[in-house]
Amino acid sequence: MVEHLPRLPSGISGLDEVLGGGFIEGAAYIVQGRPGAGKTILSNQIAFSQASAGRRVLYVTLLAETHDRLFQSLSTLDFFDKAILGDAIRYVSVFQSLRDEGLDAVVKLIREETQRQHATLLVFDGLLNARDRADTDLDIKTFIAGIQSQAAFVGCTVLFLASAGSSQDSRPEHTMVDGVLDLCEEVVGVRSYRQLHVRKSRGSGSLGGYHQFEITDRGVTLYPRLEAKYAYPSRDEEPSKKRVGTGVAGLDEAIGGGLPAGSVTVVVGPPGSGKTSFGLNFLNLASKKDHGLHFGFYETPARLSLKAEALGLDFSKKRVGRDLHIIWNPLTENSLGKLAHQLLEAVREHKIKRLLIDGIGGFDRAAIHKSRLMEFFSALTNELRVMNVTTIITWESQDHTVNENSDPFPEISSILDNLITIREVHRQGRVQRLLSILKVRDSAFQQRSYEFFFTKNGSAAIDATYASNPGSLS
Amino acid sequence: MALIAVVDDEFLLADLLAGLLVGEGHEVMTAPHGRAALQMIRERKPALVITDFMMPLMTGLELAQAMQVDADLADIPVILVSGAQGASARDSHPELFAAIFDKPYDRKAMLKAVANLLDTP
Repeated sequence: MVEHLPRLPSGISGLDEVLGGGFIEGAAYIVQGRPGAGKTILSNQIAFSQASAGRRVLYVTLLAETHDRLFQSLSTLDFFDKAILGDAIRYVSVFQSLRDEGLDAVVKLIREETQRQHATLLVFDGLLNARDRADTDLDIKTFIAGIQSQAAFVGCTVLFLASAGSSQDSRPEHTMVDGVLDLCEEVVGVRSYRQLHVRKSRGSGSLGGYHQFEITDRGVTLYPRLEAKYAYPSRDEEPSKKRVGTGVAGLDEAIGGGLPAGSVTVVVGPPGSGKTSFGLNFLNLASKKDHGLHFGFYETPARLSLKAEALGLDFSKKRVGRDLHIIWNPLTENSLGKLAHQLLEAVREHKIKRLLIDGIGGFDRAAIHKSRLMEFFSALTNELRVMNVTTIITWESQDHTVNENSDPFPEISSILDNLITIREVHRQGRVQRLLSILKVRDSAFQQRSYEFFFTKNGSAAIDATYASNPGSLS
Repeated sequence: MALIAVVDDEFLLADLLAGLLVGEGHEVMTAPHGRAALQMIRERKPALVITDFMMPLMTGLELAQAMQVDADLADIPVILVSGAQGASARDSHPELFAAIFDKPYDRKAMLKAVANLLDTP
């Protein structure tokens, strides 16, 4: 029988998932990273979360900033609560014992203090200083073993914080603990990304690889790598034969009654071809029962509302927030992990059934490592499908004259259900938009082109008559 | 000039305060926590104790309480210097402390309080 070890929740969004359910109670971990990597904030956030859950924490420092300076910097963070200092969380320095009496005395002091405090979490900040005091690797291992053995005995979880010169540092003391967490920063071009990596995790499966995190007023928020977290979707898909209206007059009939419910459609076209307008018509059919979400990178919510109004659609302030939701992330400092997290959270919270992602380029720009995009979108779209979200993703093509019979996106289209292209043609001195249906899941449809246009009141429509006379394409 | 005990687990803070008091002509002894301090205070009977709150083995509050129940030490004034517990000590144990300072404190105000308590203006 598999034994499930009791866990200590970290209180940090995303971290427990990465750790396979939280820290193991009574286990010891090394949290390492360069100065500024976020070790102190991470461990204090865990400490305050434990304290607010009624448990007791001992926070031991060696040679570090003074405690009142630490409190000063922590006081800008939401989780900090001055009222519990000295009671549920106790900060003590053991530097003088280390200097005057050595490592053994420190072990003795920490053991006694852990019991005095009835601590269930011990944070030891300054493993590097302890290492400096050790004459041999064996000394530092003995030090860790001395603290850890007694902590395990009384059921106290230990976090050793260590400043690491390089995040790739592998140290002899790593063999002594149950887990090692690396906090590191990746610099790509002019940007930097904070990342967490579980280097070692004994007695617990953890999500591998590098997980992005950010530090804000709320402390640390971790975004587990999507393709690892949803290697398999969170539940089984329940395929339905239901169809979902596109909002584009004439299109539903052409594709067998609408888009298959819970499918993912990509609408490809050059700038200005009407992809967003297509999507807005789709979102406009959102209802109290089936909420809609616009997840965009380009238009601000205000601009979007104007654009919708020009199309005769209601995206007014009165409506947004009721059955229609808008999330706008400008194309500035985004990260894939955060975008996906934000998107899936909103879908869950608002029970979104119609989703417009405008457009895929926003994710592409946010990806530091483009090679993961396929796996990322596989995980994202699989998860959207099991939540029965019908999704339209816009894709800006650079080429204004996409050949309607070729598949411009061989790789990614394999994870999409439906593919529609919009292109522009010059015909008898007029620019016309042609909408082509290249792929629709589980549907009998004619692979052909239609004229895509906006009616007098602004709403989108297609017309099949064009297709009957395709010969005059310029 | 008097003998003063400075008790703080954060040695830099203890060092700075000790230096300040030595500069005023006092003799200073330091201890890294309440337990070591209590032993030292019993042995040498300082004229004043300045202590931190949060320390290992014995807190500043526990030290003051231990001194109060010890007839030999009950009359020694104690100044509390705390990063976070100043307010709560003021509320719950005003009788234990002759003065309470929040870290970071004003050095002149500290020297003034020391001078007042030692009655050496």
